[in-house]
Amino acid sequence: MADLQDTLNAPAEAGELDRPVPTGEPTDPHPDEPDPTEPDPTEPDPAQGEHTRSDAHDPAPDAEPGADTARALLAEHPVADGYSGLSTALLTLPWYDLELGESTAETDLPRLRTGAVGALFCALRTDPAGAPATDPVTAALEQIDLINHLVAHYPEGLRSARSASETTAAHAHGRAAVLIGPAPAAVMADSLGTLRALHTLGLRVLTLGRTSWATDEGLTRFGEEVVREMNRLGMLADLTGAPRAAAARAIAMSQAPVVFTHSGARALTGHPDNVPDDVLHALGESGGLCMVPCSAAHTGPRLRDVADHLDHVRRLAGPESVGISGTYDTGIAHPEGLADISGYPALIAELLDRGWPEPDITLLTWGNVQRVLRKAEFTARAAQRRRGPSTAKPDDKP
Amino acid sequence: MTSSLERARELLREFPVVDGHNDLPWALREQVTYDIDARDIATDQSAHLHTDLGRLRSGGVGAQFWSVYVRTDLTGDAAVSATLEQIDCVDQLIARYPKDLREALTAADMEAARSEGRIASLKGAEGGHSINNSLATLRALYALGVRYMTLTHNDNIAWADSATDEPGVGGLSAFGREVVREMNREGMLVDLSHVAATTMRAALDVTEAPVIFSHSSARAVCDHPRNIPDDVLERLPANGGVAMATFVPKFVLQAAVDWTAAADDNLRAHGFHHLDTSPEAMKLHRAFEAAHPRPIATAATVADHLDHMRDVAGIDHIGIGGDYDGTAFTPDGLDDVSGYPNLVAELLDRGWSTADLAKLTWGNAVRVLGDAEAVARDVRTRRGPSNATLAALDG
Repeated sequence: MADLQDTLNAPAEAGELDRPVPTGEPTDPHPDEPDPTEPDPTEPDPAQGEHTRSDAHDPAPDAEPGADTARALLAEHPVADGYSGLSTALLTLPWYDLELGESTAETDLPRLRTGAVGALFCALRTDPAGAPATDPVTAALEQIDLINHLVAHYPEGLRSARSASETTAAHAHGRAAVLIGPAPAAVMADSLGTLRALHTLGLRVLTLGRTSWATDEGLTRFGEEVVREMNRLGMLADLTGAPRAAAARAIAMSQAPVVFTHSGARALTGHPDNVPDDVLHALGESGGLCMVPCSAAHTGPRLRDVADHLDHVRRLAGPESVGISGTYDTGIAHPEGLADISGYPALIAELLDRGWPEPDITLLTWGNVQRVLRKAEFTARAAQRRRGPSTAKPDDKP
Repeated sequence: MTSSLERARELLREFPVVDGHNDLPWALREQVTYDIDARDIATDQSAHLHTDLGRLRSGGVGAQFWSVYVRTDLTGDAAVSATLEQIDCVDQLIARYPKDLREALTAADMEAARSEGRIASLKGAEGGHSINNSLATLRALYALGVRYMTLTHNDNIAWADSATDEPGVGGLSAFGREVVREMNREGMLVDLSHVAATTMRAALDVTEAPVIFSHSSARAVCDHPRNIPDDVLERLPANGGVAMATFVPKFVLQAAVDWTAAADDNLRAHGFHHLDTSPEAMKLHRAFEAAHPRPIATAATVADHLDHMRDVAGIDHIGIGGDYDGTAFTPDGLDDVSGYPNLVAELLDRGWSTADLAKLTWGNAVRVLGDAEAVARDVRTRRGPSNATLAALDG
């Protein structure tokens, strides 16, 4: 896997060398993963705290971890935010100014900078502007068009990114990378040709929500072909909100890592989008990614509730399988202290206080998304040598 | 003394044909549901298709606008999705045959393809139903490589009247005019084939860029609504546009127009749509043909149109749009995409100069795309993308 990783992951790999290997599980891919039955996830782990202090990359080993450390870490390893509703929110505004600050939105350029956001996944909806979801393909094209114009309009703050490398390049130029997706599966209208056209237009994440081919029974043959075609294209499968059996099947069969773009831990909060422990474990084993949302309904009303979910996902799935998604500008309530997209440094400070090792912080904010994007691209290049575009049709349309 | 045909082939080697309309993608959709392995156009497909790479080469084709047409009974989002599938099909063909096909998005790309000896492959959408009343969707089609859109197909849409439907909005509605302006801004050619004469005139009134007719001939030569009236042809020099003559016998030969009306009645009497090209419908059609011999169009029939169009619109404003794989019948000598040299030979015999023929086959069509690009560059400095809606403009 190391050959797939961006150099920004290097601290994590160095950090892993320091970690104790639990006895009896020498082949565990996440050797620092504590026992899931450990009682209080908010209790700082003494072993991990010691690990942090011993880490060679810590710029101030004796200082109290806190806001300054968080900002220093985020400057190098900004947040790749897995779910933003910005494009949908802007559709309803007659005019807006993201450069000077836009009070009607939870995202603008000053707050992206304060929040140390390096990449933003712009979610598409099938019902933008509250319109009925009758025309999902057209709605997707309209939102992609808006995202493109948004990026073109704010070249000092935003840059379009279609790949891991372009995401890194945007950050290197001091811009927030804008990626298109996730989009609900309805946007592909049960057509792999339409899916490929959307990929050409930049869509990089598709949510396998409830469809005729992703059900409580799992994935149909066509559903599996959708996942294979996404693997071939280099489009990530998002399992937030997918029926459990379909999610499990996608995790098992996808050759590229799968993601949950905005899901917390079901064990802590019983939201249907949240991921049960056994699925988190399987996700970690498969190299996938669970991005915990800053959403009161998913995680709870306080910043530390979000941190609890991050703790839990990190313990169950591993530090390489946890990420963050803001879910800003989606019309939902956010935890106190994370009211808009500028709040990430406070969240990172909280995690440092809890004893998260700095390498794990850098994976959480940036490294894991980079790895997942790169792995998906690598998988696509390999798959394209093996097979051409699929002509499969939904199972009920032979 | 070399024969006209040899001279035609020689001319086409230097100035190959830009064809305005070919329905191979729809034929692949209908025949093999886009399984392009099952219709490998690197091999002879004359049993199934008008088009394959070998015949394009022998026909002297240097650039092809591949139609991403979808049927008009597909409406709303279904039309958009099907159009994306058609676009994907063309992209697959371009990716699969890189030695023969080259994606072309600009006039410069077309020239580059010619100098490389590859066939420039462009996309044209056929009917405003493909954008579902959404200007952002129009821009998405442009982003996917679509370089012209025919404003309607055979049926009216909410904002434009078709040549083969009853009068609706009387040409273009306010939203229809905004569509034309947005196409100008993008650099997508406005295609006026298939539209009503009222729509042709309305579009010429509003467009800032040259228009095309991707596959239409002269109404003065053969009175069919799919053809172009003289008063519209006369406006092309001022507009700078290009009318690309089509070969479809039932549009270009009066006897075929009349025969087709009778044949259509026969199809409808047996419960088929008159444009159905399914094997069953074609069988019925062939039976009718056995009883009523089909009037035969020839290369001379098409040349009659081009003579007239050159007289009325001028040599700088005509081109060729065969409509292969979009029509069941073709003229003798222009049976498939290998036939263009026969048409050029016919025009040589009628005294057309090689300079005129170079404009007809290659120069005019490349110029019109380049001019549309220049207009778009200019318009984009003056106005941003339009998000006007049908409801807002047309009530």
